[in-house]
Amino acid sequence: MEVTMTHYLVLAALLFLTGMTGFIVRRNAIVMLMCVELMLAATNIVFAVFARAHADGGGHVFILMNFAIAAAEAAIGLAILVEIYRRRRTVNVDDLKALME
Amino acid sequence: MTNNLPVGAVDVGVTGHFATVLVFVLVGFAFAGLALGVAKLLRPSAPNPNKLTTYECGELPRGSSWVRFNVRFYLIALFFIVFDVEIIFLFPWAVVFKQLYPVPGLGAVVFWEMVIFLSILSLGLAYVWVKGDLDWVKKLIERPGGTDQAAVPADEEVTAP
Amino acid sequence: MELLNINIPDWADLAWWLPEAILCGTFLVALLADLVVRGRRPWLPFAVSVAGLVTAGAYAVAALDPGTRTILGDLVVVDGLAAYFRLLFIFVGLVTVLFAWTAEEIMGRTRENKGEFFALTVLMTAAMCVMAEAKDLLMLYLSMEAVGIVSYVMAGYMRTSLRSTEASLKYVIFGAVSSAIMLYGLSLLYGMTGSMQFDGIRAGLMGGQVDDFGLLVAVILVIAGMSYKIAAVPFHYWAPDVYEGAPTPVSALFSVGPKAAGFALMIRFFYTTLAAGPDAAGSAGLVQQINWPLLIAVMSAVTMTYGNLVALRQLNVKRMLAYSSIAHVGYLLMGFVLLTETGLQAILFYLLVYALMNLGAFLFVVAINNHLRSEHLDDYVGLGFRAPWAGVMMVVFLASLTGVPPFAGFVGKWYLFIAVMDKQWFWLAIIAALNSVVSLYYYFRVVKAMFLTRPAEGANLSPLKLHWLQYVLLAVLAIPTLGLGLFFGQFTGLADRAILMMTTGF
Repeated sequence: MEVTMTHYLVLAALLFLTGMTGFIVRRNAIVMLMCVELMLAATNIVFAVFARAHADGGGHVFILMNFAIAAAEAAIGLAILVEIYRRRRTVNVDDLKALME
Repeated sequence: MTNNLPVGAVDVGVTGHFATVLVFVLVGFAFAGLALGVAKLLRPSAPNPNKLTTYECGELPRGSSWVRFNVRFYLIALFFIVFDVEIIFLFPWAVVFKQLYPVPGLGAVVFWEMVIFLSILSLGLAYVWVKGDLDWVKKLIERPGGTDQAAVPADEEVTAP
Repeated sequence: MELLNINIPDWADLAWWLPEAILCGTFLVALLADLVVRGRRPWLPFAVSVAGLVTAGAYAVAALDPGTRTILGDLVVVDGLAAYFRLLFIFVGLVTVLFAWTAEEIMGRTRENKGEFFALTVLMTAAMCVMAEAKDLLMLYLSMEAVGIVSYVMAGYMRTSLRSTEASLKYVIFGAVSSAIMLYGLSLLYGMTGSMQFDGIRAGLMGGQVDDFGLLVAVILVIAGMSYKIAAVPFHYWAPDVYEGAPTPVSALFSVGPKAAGFALMIRFFYTTLAAGPDAAGSAGLVQQINWPLLIAVMSAVTMTYGNLVALRQLNVKRMLAYSSIAHVGYLLMGFVLLTETGLQAILFYLLVYALMNLGAFLFVVAINNHLRSEHLDDYVGLGFRAPWAGVMMVVFLASLTGVPPFAGFVGKWYLFIAVMDKQWFWLAIIAALNSVVSLYYYFRVVKAMFLTRPAEGANLSPLKLHWLQYVLLAVLAIPTLGLGLFFGQFTGLADRAILMMTTGF
């Protein structure tokens, strides 16, 4: 079987949907952040595929930048989670109700 | 091209490259499997409780290995990520640096931009250093004016409740 | 090996980018200053931040008419739009920093890392300026994330407070997922057009080979990510919680800064890719292909109605202002429906007015919170007599937010109404008018509590003494809120020129 661009795009779409589904279904904040990372990985695949298809370096540069952004976002998110865990002993988003109406 | 995206570009012909990867994977599995399998056939088998315990540098293992780790490991991992990502940017820069440096008017820009980038990162390192986040054993944070809110030590152990 | 096909960056570019460069430098110096004094003398990073913001502001004023120039390897464009917005952002940043200095929530005895707060505000200002200047998908994403990451930290500034950390977590989780969604849309646009540059994307789209459905999906994904930034329904969940939980000076900044930056980004991105240029006939087709006007009109109507209706039942003034700021996004989106120059000019002017009046209202809440430790409406009873000057200025802000003449909010709304009625979108204008009437109720409930409700027997009615800087800043915001309602010609002219410079490229 020949592996074409479509296969990669379908793979990326599935990965993105997996992350999205996980984000919606799971209530553990750490797992939710991991699902977001999955979604970012999916976009990285799309960028890589199109960068190759268009023979354009821009897509590759974007992926590198995306790594840094994803790392920063995860770091901040986890730091906040640690802070919340210290005070609440939970990272379940359904238990965070200080700001409900 | 089997897709209908209007890019008008070449197909991503990577089947050939993946064949190589596949061969690598297969050889890797075969190698490990072969080594373990042959050893299994040749060695004598005489298990006793001492032999079956987990090897922890000669110490007797205590408790399960499925414990929560101290949050300080996470902090260290965080600092690691900063410099890990730095390498991601440094590497492509290093690859093209030799070509770009001789270009008049460009060499200085290319060089100094990386210097600026690295010094910003170093400022980050200096920051965590001075704040004491690199110390394994950390002082409790001195809260100015005492603590009217829940006093939490700077590095409270995160253990199961 | 072939190099990337870009203009090589040049030191000379920095001359065009001085305000941003100064802000970035200020951030680093403020951080270093905080480090040197070991966080014990917050006035040092504060002074550095104020000095940096003032200097950058001076340069931004000097460069108000910059001409159009693409710099930093085609990633950033400095033009009228950028000049207009960076002035706005630096002003917002400066007001926030000065007000935070007087706010108990930031400077209270138990707070840590006060210096970091000022440094982060400066960094956020710089990132917002870049958002208004980005002309490349890469810069668009980077600047949005820079603003986002800084704001996650700022929302959780009161790290011993459960509400603050919870606000921060909600912000980071929703922020991360919506930026991932937007990024997916951007990657599809890149794939369809083969370009990262906004005008390259446009050229690709105009090529006529783009699948309608694919374009629709990509545009909706991108709108989803951006409407998170501006807090438009249905991507608004985070806003009330974050505004309520974050320290109030931070909420003030969030409700104005990132929102305006999001609009600046949307204006440049969607105008350039979908509507701009000499080939307007072709682009009209592009806008119709995805039924853009209806999409945005519905979003606008739903956003303003939702914001206003929920604001009606809020008894916490801070949370009420959060919902009211959602409603204002709905009004602002009206100018976006037709992607016409009239509409975009109206958005620019309204953003200026909105920045003044909304900052003012939030900062009044900060000043009162310093004394009462509360934002509840019941505690506002009698405030009009305990702090008469500040109370009167709050009335000015609230009246302007409602859109009552002769205040600036009225003029701003007027321009937005014209933008949609110009093209016969009467139903949207009618909904907006009805919404303004609804908003009258909850804004004036605050006025009523402050001035008209009789305080309970034995209630504390001692006069409140506000910090002198708070009086000055409230006046700085209140006077133009009144003045722009009467003498708006100068500033609408500024907005008109900013948009014209972007559309014509001069």
